[in-house]
Amino acid sequence: MIRSDIIRGHLDSIILRLILEKDQYGYEISKQISIRTDNRFQIKEATLYAVFQRLEKKELIESYFGEISHGGKRKYYRITTLGKAYLKETVKEWKETKEIIDLFMEELE
Amino acid sequence: MKKIKNHVDDLFKNVPDSEQKEQIKQEIVENLEEKVFDLMAQGKEEEDAINKAIVDFGDIDEIENELGVKLPSPAKKNMSKIDLGFSIWGTVLIIALFVFINFYYTPHIIWFVYPTFAVLWWPLSMFYRWLRLRQK
Repeated sequence: MIRSDIIRGHLDSIILRLILEKDQYGYEISKQISIRTDNRFQIKEATLYAVFQRLEKKELIESYFGEISHGGKRKYYRITTLGKAYLKETVKEWKETKEIIDLFMEELE
Repeated sequence: MKKIKNHVDDLFKNVPDSEQKEQIKQEIVENLEEKVFDLMAQGKEEEDAINKAIVDFGDIDEIENELGVKLPSPAKKNMSKIDLGFSIWGTVLIIALFVFINFYYTPHIIWFVYPTFAVLWWPLSMFYRWLRLRQK
């Protein structure tokens, strides 16, 4: 599995992106990440809930209770306007970062 | 499923009780249970599924950080004001004592000024300490 500390700095964006597509709850998000990366990257639940806390504190996402699942209410997350703006900003930043790193990583192997 | 609940309780034992904590615990238990059901649907035994969910969970540290769990640091009260007051009173008493000795025993030589200057360093340093701590 890939070294997760490089990805770690971008977890906020990854999770925001998933919530942007549709409101989701915790397990759904972790499953999505595994599926989309073909299990090359799996998020630890502990990390996931820490990110939720952080994003919610920064008011980039907000939560609400949805349908009943196995014996309880699911907590869903939706992205806020601020969250969308933030995500847009990080996308720009990432493109730039990628270009810079590529300058040094390309044509080697 | 009791095992999941117990495990989460155990994980959060260092986090001070709050409504937020209960909510997160609730949410985590919820999601872990769903994961267990999912794993069981994929053909795992319940026991295995629960164990896998628990192992996959990872370290609680990160959540603790977000919830602002800090080791109870000895709350340092700002004593600088009391220190300053104490030093001023102390200085006044010491100087008064020198003045008294000076004028009572050797009224023709004025020497109490020298120890006065020496003692003045005390309230002066306390004053600047108080000033600095007040700005923070």
